[in-house]
Amino acid sequence: MSEALPQFQLSRPASIAEVVATLKSHPDARLCAGGTDLIVNMRRGLVETDMLVDLGKVAGLNQITETKKGLEIGAGVTLADLIANKAVQTYTAVLEAAGAIAGPSHRQSATVGGNLCLDTRCLYYNQSHWWRKSNNFCLKYKGDTCHVAPQGNRCRAAFSGDLAPALIVFGAEITLVGPDGTRRLKLADFYHEDGAAHLDLKPGEILTTVHLPKSNARSAYGKVRIREIMDFPLAGVALVCSGAKGDETLSVAVTGTNSMPLMVELTKAQMLGADQDAFFAAINKDVQKSVSPQRTTTTGSHYRRLSIAAVAERLARELCLG
Amino acid sequence: MNTPIKGKVAGQYVPLVDGIEKVTGRAIYTADMESEDCLIGRILRSPVSHGRIISVDTSKAEALPGVVAVVTGDDSDKTYGVIPIAMNEYPMARDKVRYRGEPIAAVCAIDAATAAAALELIEVEIEELPAYYRPADSRAEGAELLHDNKPNNIEREVSNEFGDVAAGFANSALIREAVFDCAEVNHAQMEPHAALAEYDVERDRLTLHSVTQVPFYVHLMLARCLDMDTSRIRVIKPFVGGGFGARTEALNFEMITALLARKCGGKVMMRMSREETFITHRGRPDTEVRLKIGLSETGKILAVDCEAVMAGGGYAGYGLVTILYAGALLQGIYDTPAVKYHGYRVYTNTPPCGAMRGHGTVDVRHAFECLLDRMARELGLDPFAVRRANLLYAPMRTANELMVNSYGLAECLDEVEKASGWKQRLGKLPPGRGIGMACSHYVSGAAKPVHWTGEPHAVVAMKLDFDGSVTVLTGASDIGQGSSTIVAMAAAEILGIDIGRVRVVANDSAITPKDNGSYSSRVTFMVGNAAIEAAKELSRKLREAAAQKLDADPADIECEGEVFSVRGSQQSSLNFQEVAFAALALEGTINVKGTFRTPPEAQGGKHRGGAVGSTMGFSYAAQVVEVDVDLDTGRIKVEKVWAALDCGFAINRLAVEGQIEGSVWMGMGQAMSEETRYQDGLPVHANFLDYRMPTIVDTPDIEVFIVESNDPLGPFGAKEAGEGALSGFPPAVVNAVANAIGLDVDFLPLTPDRVMDALIKARREAKKKKKVSA
Repeated sequence: MSEALPQFQLSRPASIAEVVATLKSHPDARLCAGGTDLIVNMRRGLVETDMLVDLGKVAGLNQITETKKGLEIGAGVTLADLIANKAVQTYTAVLEAAGAIAGPSHRQSATVGGNLCLDTRCLYYNQSHWWRKSNNFCLKYKGDTCHVAPQGNRCRAAFSGDLAPALIVFGAEITLVGPDGTRRLKLADFYHEDGAAHLDLKPGEILTTVHLPKSNARSAYGKVRIREIMDFPLAGVALVCSGAKGDETLSVAVTGTNSMPLMVELTKAQMLGADQDAFFAAINKDVQKSVSPQRTTTTGSHYRRLSIAAVAERLARELCLG
Repeated sequence: MNTPIKGKVAGQYVPLVDGIEKVTGRAIYTADMESEDCLIGRILRSPVSHGRIISVDTSKAEALPGVVAVVTGDDSDKTYGVIPIAMNEYPMARDKVRYRGEPIAAVCAIDAATAAAALELIEVEIEELPAYYRPADSRAEGAELLHDNKPNNIEREVSNEFGDVAAGFANSALIREAVFDCAEVNHAQMEPHAALAEYDVERDRLTLHSVTQVPFYVHLMLARCLDMDTSRIRVIKPFVGGGFGARTEALNFEMITALLARKCGGKVMMRMSREETFITHRGRPDTEVRLKIGLSETGKILAVDCEAVMAGGGYAGYGLVTILYAGALLQGIYDTPAVKYHGYRVYTNTPPCGAMRGHGTVDVRHAFECLLDRMARELGLDPFAVRRANLLYAPMRTANELMVNSYGLAECLDEVEKASGWKQRLGKLPPGRGIGMACSHYVSGAAKPVHWTGEPHAVVAMKLDFDGSVTVLTGASDIGQGSSTIVAMAAAEILGIDIGRVRVVANDSAITPKDNGSYSSRVTFMVGNAAIEAAKELSRKLREAAAQKLDADPADIECEGEVFSVRGSQQSSLNFQEVAFAALALEGTINVKGTFRTPPEAQGGKHRGGAVGSTMGFSYAAQVVEVDVDLDTGRIKVEKVWAALDCGFAINRLAVEGQIEGSVWMGMGQAMSEETRYQDGLPVHANFLDYRMPTIVDTPDIEVFIVESNDPLGPFGAKEAGEGALSGFPPAVVNAVANAIGLDVDFLPLTPDRVMDALIKARREAKKKKKVSA
């Protein structure tokens, strides 16, 4: 039941180009920024690699730049730096989501890119080698059955990053750099509903930048968890409320409930002229309908569904009426 | 025996004598002792919950380069256990495995990676047997027996009745019954388990460093399981990062590490992961409490009928003591003239439970304080009033022969009622807010030790030598609770010297006197009294030497602030150094000792199991908890706690305040978020993300009040301070939730998902009622 770190080489490239070259020559290499999740998983025998690529020295990865269109956030920016950055202060949901991640010491080293690329989590997966072996492993790693949904043929592990929904509701995009060049896509399109392969990351690609459009819309992030700190989200919800008073338009995204963060399809996104109570009750219903939490945590999926919907409704009221 | 003294040292705020090492990081814990010449030990654990071992083939592991030794159940055929009549564990399983994670074999190798690789090469064949995780399943007819000598998988059934229970209920104005489910919890001490064993082949000697609370019991079990003479064994306890009961018995890894060291003829370091530490367990069992109380119209308790069923795990451990405690400590806090108790300690295919802070009492006290509160409401009585209607008056003996010599519960109630603004605020809080209260108590050491040897319960030795320092030798295990500080303070107080002159040497069987260890809150009371006796003997010798020099009667010699003088005389005085030299000139190095024996009248009733629960003195606590309930998410936020503890006398006020806060906090963990969870016997809680101890962010302001009832037998009048306030928290919070939103919950912990379920159920029932009445 060793929890010792396995042997690995550490590569310390200085540029994105070098990172991409290293990934090309070592296809099993893993990127390591803050390491707050990766190292834990390595100790548990969940990561098979003989090389870690330390991103700490890569030039330009830890900058936040203000442009006419909004913010360019380097994937290597730490959560603590993100929270402290002046230009980010108007994006309340982003601040609240980043501030809700783990604890203060984690946020000193954990990065934006790391949280967006966070591995999915499941109580059958985030266990020791002895544990998983005793349970015949699982579909996500070394096994052929998903213990959460044994009848199904895909992994149900939950995406548990807090930051993604908060960026998605603002329409954030990301830049990926790989051996075939650079591509840019909507952050919302970066994820798949498959716990074993939830990222649209091609071999040799690295997420380098988050593009956050200019906005001064009111926003909020709510997190369902047992403790007020440390816990991954049992479910999380981000909301943006734009438009003039009485003519608010909402967008809502959730995390922790599926293998990917997702936008909630609202039956009615605009409050204008609506019966207010019915409007907010509909948001509650919409969230309940769009999420599909599974038995991936010790806390029941029914609760996660009900509570995140209640939190979404409450935040919607606060944003629209507050 | 000891009249309370408000001295220079006792009763002050004294930083722990070993605190500097801890806060500076200089303290050496067992896991820090890994050196170049250490081999690394690892344990192979059972993949199944219940099964017969057909074969264990270690040949491939032994052949792996870098592997030095492999041990299995074949290497020790002796059982171990803390209760002499219930030793049923082997260091490594021999015939059967009874829980997932039970040790089957172990290896030591040149490094951790080789040891881990070796584990993969051990081939184990197991014939699986039906496994049971709930007592109802293991007790069901035809269930496979975990242990052949225990029919129905019951480790211990307890049945007793004191007073006329039937008559009590017949005379009651209100009788209510409820069932409470309390989830299993674990100590979650900060330091994971570790042991370092070194075997000296030439001399056939073994030295073990371990994280234990009970080096003496570990010593005995090492001798038994390794078939060695106790004189060949040395057990040392270095700094320990918490215990809370997890380490109050010898644990399998200690024997396994020693077996490996002997087999390889060298030094083996065994550092266990957090998961393994959780699997070693010995926590508080999942307990179902069915409780019935009968009250008079004025709230007097007339009869109590309680049944407790505990899921004890795969082995006996402390189990029979836990199930006895649960019944015995129904008494000793209130006037309970008639009490019936039925307890079942049941085997289940989960890691063995054991002793945990508040051993045996917590879940039963929870049920009692919750039900009493509900019944008070029905009778229109204030929660404080119903407790006050049932106070004890010391000295007295309870129906089950427990001795109560001092009793400060009334003052505890007064303190928290006043501080919390109870009278002004009850019923006037905003929606979702509520206050609740509860009381609790705990023993100051078990009057009869689990290993009865006839020896005194505690021995403390003191040495005065040429350097003028006083060295205190004690076997008491400081696990963070401050026991070394207490013995230093006792020496300084009695001798009238600066505490800086006192050095405490603790927990090395080659040097320090035998001590039973740190459990059942025995150390301050027993070791404290022994330290006082030793210091008094040393003081007598010093005063005699001073009297000779000052030409006075030793009875007239006083020492304060390191100055010896003749009572009433201003002229002649001697400093400590002068007196020490005079005393040393008479006999050389001075060695004295003090002992403590529990008085026979403290040792409980003659009924079967009557020794459990018996003690020299009970601590008493009352607390008020204020909560805020979020009806949308089921989240309960603890806003504030007021806790008062009667600890007899606070020898070290700083440590007592810390212990009260710690008890409240640990009770809060069990009440709000902590629980173990097993998926077909596999622990899914075995890390600090899924085992949810409250963090500092979740922790409310805790206002602490010390009540001093001056126990006639306690050291300086002191009683225990480390456990009594724990079991009041869970019921106080449940009562506060009832006050806030009118919902009575029968489960622990109060996680938001459970609360939400309860809310939905309550709303549904309310709707139904409305329909019916309409």
